[in-house]
Amino acid sequence: MDNYEYILETEHVSKNFGNLVVLKDINLKVKKGEVICIIGPSGAGKSTYLRSLNQLEKISSGKIFIKGDLFLHREKDRTVERIDKKTQQKLLLEMGMCFQRFNLFPHKTVLENICLAPVEVKGEDKETVKKEAMELLEKVGLADKANEFPNRLSGGQQQRVAIARALAMKPEIMLFDEPTSALDPELVGDVLQVMKDLANSGMTMLVVTHEMGFAKEVADRVLFMADGIIAEEGTPDKIFNNPENPRTQSFLKSILNV
Amino acid sequence: MKNFLKGLVDIKHWKKKTKITWVIVLIVIAACIVLSFLKPSEADMKAMASPEMQEMIKADESSSRKRVTVTYNSLIIVNYCSFSTSGAKEITERYVGFVGKAFQADEGFGKFAGQMVNYTYRMLGCGENILHGAKLTLFLTTASTLIGVILGTLLALGKISKNKILSKACSAYIFFFRGTPLMIQLFVIYYTLPAVFGFAWRDLFSAADTQAVYKGAFIAALIAYGLNSGAYCAEIVRAAIQSIEKGQHEAAKALGLSYSKTMRLIIIPQSVRRMVPPICNEFIMMLKDASLVFAISLMDITTISKNIMTSEISYIVFLPALVIYLIITAFFTWIFNAIEKKFSLYE
Amino acid sequence: MKKMTRVISAIGAMVMSAALLAGCGNSKGAADAGSSAAADSAAVESTYDLTGVTLMSDGVLSVGCEVGYPPFEDFADDGTTPIGYDIDIITEVARRLGLEVNIINTAWDGIFAGIDNNYDVVCSACTITAERQESMAFSTPYISNYQAVILKAGDTKEITSFNDLDGMTVAVQKETTSDELISDYKSTGTIDVEIVANEKILSCFTQLDNGEIDAVCVDSTVADGYLAKNPDKYVYAYKDETEAEQFGVAIGLQNTALKEAIDWALAEMEADGFIQETYDYWFGQAE
Repeated sequence: MDNYEYILETEHVSKNFGNLVVLKDINLKVKKGEVICIIGPSGAGKSTYLRSLNQLEKISSGKIFIKGDLFLHREKDRTVERIDKKTQQKLLLEMGMCFQRFNLFPHKTVLENICLAPVEVKGEDKETVKKEAMELLEKVGLADKANEFPNRLSGGQQQRVAIARALAMKPEIMLFDEPTSALDPELVGDVLQVMKDLANSGMTMLVVTHEMGFAKEVADRVLFMADGIIAEEGTPDKIFNNPENPRTQSFLKSILNV
Repeated sequence: MKNFLKGLVDIKHWKKKTKITWVIVLIVIAACIVLSFLKPSEADMKAMASPEMQEMIKADESSSRKRVTVTYNSLIIVNYCSFSTSGAKEITERYVGFVGKAFQADEGFGKFAGQMVNYTYRMLGCGENILHGAKLTLFLTTASTLIGVILGTLLALGKISKNKILSKACSAYIFFFRGTPLMIQLFVIYYTLPAVFGFAWRDLFSAADTQAVYKGAFIAALIAYGLNSGAYCAEIVRAAIQSIEKGQHEAAKALGLSYSKTMRLIIIPQSVRRMVPPICNEFIMMLKDASLVFAISLMDITTISKNIMTSEISYIVFLPALVIYLIITAFFTWIFNAIEKKFSLYE
Repeated sequence: MKKMTRVISAIGAMVMSAALLAGCGNSKGAADAGSSAAADSAAVESTYDLTGVTLMSDGVLSVGCEVGYPPFEDFADDGTTPIGYDIDIITEVARRLGLEVNIINTAWDGIFAGIDNNYDVVCSACTITAERQESMAFSTPYISNYQAVILKAGDTKEITSFNDLDGMTVAVQKETTSDELISDYKSTGTIDVEIVANEKILSCFTQLDNGEIDAVCVDSTVADGYLAKNPDKYVYAYKDETEAEQFGVAIGLQNTALKEAIDWALAEMEADGFIQETYDYWFGQAE
């Protein structure tokens, strides 16, 4: 067993574009297998926070630990502790990511999309990877679409392929950046089902979402973010039924009344 | 690539219209082959000369200053033969050979037909070394576009790279070659560089090679056109690469792909489709710009037709020139369309 | 120093105006010479009776000229004053006839059609040919030109006729007499020669400098000019004295009185050495 307490840990993570503060001193500790949903109004910094975890956004200052190892340490927009490239790459690959707009590679078939990274990044054997990819497609219910190009798939199917693509790298943490926001309502269900299955299988997940039902049902912890800080956090029951922070209250009110 | 070629010749996938076109093309080719066997032989054509001309040709044999120019052009289905003398008393006799018969072609339609054959023959660069006429135009254009695309891709990657020095150097290169006329670049490479560094382009080839001067000039032209095309292609490639949405970079990065692999496997393949039409344009521009080689003693289609026009005061010379250009352009547009189609399969 | 001149001439080649560059030192002086001659003209009272001579405008000889063929005609550094051998000759002709001269720069294409329409005569390095004589009159020739072969300095090849060019690579200026001549030698099969045809004569000489070609075949007048400026770079290998090409002033067929007047002036200039002097000035002393 790995000897770490938290699989993901951020300390004093802040980010600003010039004078505009996007993230303010965010501290979070995530245990293995935990499912965390991040909710909040738009512009709260939810996506930025999620994306800064795997360096798609550069944080201004703060520390990020993955599986107990230091992954990134920056102060005043500068990296202060250089991490060995190999270690950093290894830690980066512990995180899989799904985007709002799926971002599948349009010139590759579904199968090629899934197999690309394991072969090119990890140097794994092509045939083995292919077999595993087919198993993953089976799991997300798209085995019959293996040789289609992404543009022939519906949004929901594309997102499920994107999940399979991320899973093919065998990450320990999955990051979801509003995975269902770009989907037609009738396609949301399939994607959420796949995510539920994933959560049940013990995957550590951080999900930025507007699907309150999903958060209530699946999350172990819900974070409410506003203006670059975690304004309130707790169990779904606490957040949805007894929110303390007046902003949480007004946010939930506005969302649930729609 | 293999599949691509296969796709091109796979008859089953052709539309009915394409099939009919090919049938017609095949019939034309077959007819040409038959007619080419029927045209009079070179000896027959040369025997057509008038007695007076025959006499002069005979006199030439023992003379150190010959007077008669005998021209023989064979062009697939038809051939042309002319005898001419220069000097104060100019005599010209022209004959056209077609389907087993030689016709006098000094006036009317015969003359027109003869001129067409002769002009086309000269413009295509038949009977000359490889670096002449249409052959020169084609070879120079394709080779320099190829160099341009490869060089342009490297320059584009250099320009958008995070390495400041590399990026600035590539930008400077592009700025320089796009900001100065191709003609001057050609002059510098052909005339100035050898003068400054004390070498001759001709010396790249053996001294015994009588064509060395043209080959040397061609190498210089290839370098100039290639470097120039590189700069233009660089901007095309850069624009195409930067038109690929950010999400693709992010997805690749999240999957742990390195920058070079992201470019090679994800970004460049997607941008190919977007760069094909402007590169086709660049190619066609290049095709026309090839006429600038007149400045370094080479002759492409345009230069030859201009020469013919001034020396024979004949404007119909542009007819075959236009046809040759259109055929080349049509052929390459077709190729580029096929490439574009191949790369847009997924859309 | 040698290197330096090479660089300069190469840059000249690059912009295709080396004739201007290389000749700029002289041009200035020439402009002065030209203008001083023009200044004299007012003072001299002509002895020739101009009765019967019709001109476009009284007292002025209008001359059509394609300025841009040095050293026959070119613009001085100021870009507006025409200078050159032809200019000097026609200015002197006019002076001796007691006329002002007015140089009208015109394109070569259609230059002869302008006679009696836009100007009285054309003096622009026009070769006298039988064909042209059918539609216009020519003065007596004021310069003779021969076909010449130029080699790079130090080349000891002996050339006694064009037949000796056999097996060589020879540069010529496109569409010139030299081009036609050598092309004829080749097309008739007299000799086997590679002809490199250039738009500008300067390209031929640069190619000779760079060693791209073996020889240049060119008008002797042009050759004289290049050799005078670069005596250590080129050598005269051969001059074909048998076939001379002569330049004359082109005049309207009807204007016989003007032709007579110009011929009279040219004869005087020949007699008192003006023509030779001017030739030496512009083309240098050959050999």
